[in-house]
Amino acid sequence: MARVYNWQIGREMSYWYPEARPKRQFAAVFDINKCIACQTCTLACKTTWTSGRGQEYMLWNNVETKPYGFYPLAWDVKLLEMLNGQRWKGRVYLGQTIFEAAPAGERVLGWRPQAQDYAYPNVGEDDCAGEISRGAELSLPHAHWFFYLARICNHCTYPACLASCPRGAIYKRPEDGIVLVDQSRCRGYQECVKACPYKKVFFNPMTGTSEKCIACFPKIEQGLQPQCFVNCIGKIRLAGWLSPPGQARPDNPVDYLVHIRKVALPLFPQFGLEPNVYYIPPVHVPERFLEQMFGPGVSEALAAYRSAPRDPELAGLLCLFGSTEMILARWRRQGDWVVGADEKGVEVVRVPVREPVYVRAAFDTQRQIMRTNCP
Amino acid sequence: MTIVTRVLVGLSITLLAGGVACKRATAPSLEVIAIPVQKVPSDPGDSAWERAPEHVARLLVQDVVEPRLMKPSTAEVRVRAVTAAGEIAFRLEWEDPVRDDMPGPGRFVDACAVQLPRKIEAEVPNPQMGEAGRPVEITFWRADWQAWAEGRRDDIRSFYPNAAVDHYPFAAPSLKQGSPEQAEMARRYAPAEAVGNRRSGPREQPVEDLVAEGPGTLAPAGKTVSRGKGRRWDRGWRVVLARPLPPGLAPRARTQVAFAVWEGSHGEVGARKMRTGWIPLLLKETP
Repeated sequence: MARVYNWQIGREMSYWYPEARPKRQFAAVFDINKCIACQTCTLACKTTWTSGRGQEYMLWNNVETKPYGFYPLAWDVKLLEMLNGQRWKGRVYLGQTIFEAAPAGERVLGWRPQAQDYAYPNVGEDDCAGEISRGAELSLPHAHWFFYLARICNHCTYPACLASCPRGAIYKRPEDGIVLVDQSRCRGYQECVKACPYKKVFFNPMTGTSEKCIACFPKIEQGLQPQCFVNCIGKIRLAGWLSPPGQARPDNPVDYLVHIRKVALPLFPQFGLEPNVYYIPPVHVPERFLEQMFGPGVSEALAAYRSAPRDPELAGLLCLFGSTEMILARWRRQGDWVVGADEKGVEVVRVPVREPVYVRAAFDTQRQIMRTNCP
Repeated sequence: MTIVTRVLVGLSITLLAGGVACKRATAPSLEVIAIPVQKVPSDPGDSAWERAPEHVARLLVQDVVEPRLMKPSTAEVRVRAVTAAGEIAFRLEWEDPVRDDMPGPGRFVDACAVQLPRKIEAEVPNPQMGEAGRPVEITFWRADWQAWAEGRRDDIRSFYPNAAVDHYPFAAPSLKQGSPEQAEMARRYAPAEAVGNRRSGPREQPVEDLVAEGPGTLAPAGKTVSRGKGRRWDRGWRVVLARPLPPGLAPRARTQVAFAVWEGSHGEVGARKMRTGWIPLLLKETP
């Protein structure tokens, strides 16, 4: 075991391999507040990558309802229970990561889902949690709540799948940080399936190997965002490159959201993998639930997000989500417009910070007819 | 004594004599002794195997490298060996009440392996998968490969009988059945197969030839030339593994051999296995 630094838990931790950050890290921000669980992302991924034999119930991208939705069943609560309630002190995690809590003979603390755990990918859909004893008044956070959690592989800085593979068949690409299973070396031991706390590596019985989200790397290599990003009708997703905290650039969209405004948070940072998909937490959900899921930065993230209507920078950047298929390495605001740019700063897309609103009279005097809202 | 009784008594004496003779020929041996035969009996149930001396190999948990097997399972494997026409064959027999030949998420298959050092020399490499520069050769059998070799249907319904499939891209009406275009489309959605790593699916032999130079280095040999066959008996598996004699392993020559057994329903796969250390292997001369 090596000692590595994990900024998400504010301390060093043990990991199977020494720290080796890629030249640049593929990362994403998902704005949960905008997700309607239409599953267009799920289908975009499925039709692109997992329509083959043995992949019938394999969803590299899925959207589940929280708190009662899981794919596979109980993927998060099971591991939380195994970790047995760990603590944070401020931004420092005092508990054990899944590498530090590995039992004797194991590289990682994990568990193995069974086939039936994948059988109901949309279990718990729209089931809400509530504190009925407090009444049902409409306030924030809601007394009754649920939210949609869209999930892909987190292309972690410290992947548990990679650490667990006794064959070294999983690798993290130095050029972009994408984590891949080498299909020529995998022998289907499923150690990665057991180790990944997000359960985003899947065993395919028809190929006899394990398969996972590849971040649409053939698109990334061409400067394009993955399929689940560009097909998102809610425009909740933004792909880009994340710098380590000390090297964050305000003109990098992902850096700005994650490191500078701290509005987007990692999923279960306490597991210790430094996952690279960041979530803007939902504003209508009790913070104590969100803190378990996204760590101690929830209050700050929610406050930043709520300030967006009065903050043209943040509001502008949020408008770049879903505005182009290109990966935006840079961005800038120019008055009422926000510009997305490539790495050289060359403009790729331009959108208004506020969409103009036109109010028309209900009666069209020219045509002598009542207007309706539908064209 | 009636005629029927006489026949029964006679039959019993014959059977008893046969049993005693059989027992004498298979007294447990401290080493694995391969006896010469005309032809390797390919069926694990062939009575010819009973003429080879039996070695009872105690199995140890693999607790050297992570992931380790923490709880022991299969206690022993009984080994008989024969040699014929440039081949050496082993019949492994072990107790395993459950047939595990259907892999799936969190489900593993029964398997066994025979390991020989590549070079026949006095000093053998590390029994745990060999060592750098001193490879070991492994012949590996898997219960699901046995099922494929015996004609398991190449369909997801072989794994999940009630599976509902909407559509596969290679089954599109626009692709002619059996055409290169259709094969190409199927390959796109089976990446391991596309890069020549066929871990599942129909095959002629349920075995694979492998080489290793230490834990984590296991790799397929250039080509699998070994043969094998596994069959259930009432309390477990009997598996024949036949491979070419390693160069230099001639009659009266000695080397070492090691075995491993995986119990699928005990979650055993890869390094999580029961295994032996090196056991002396002797090739007997033709009488």
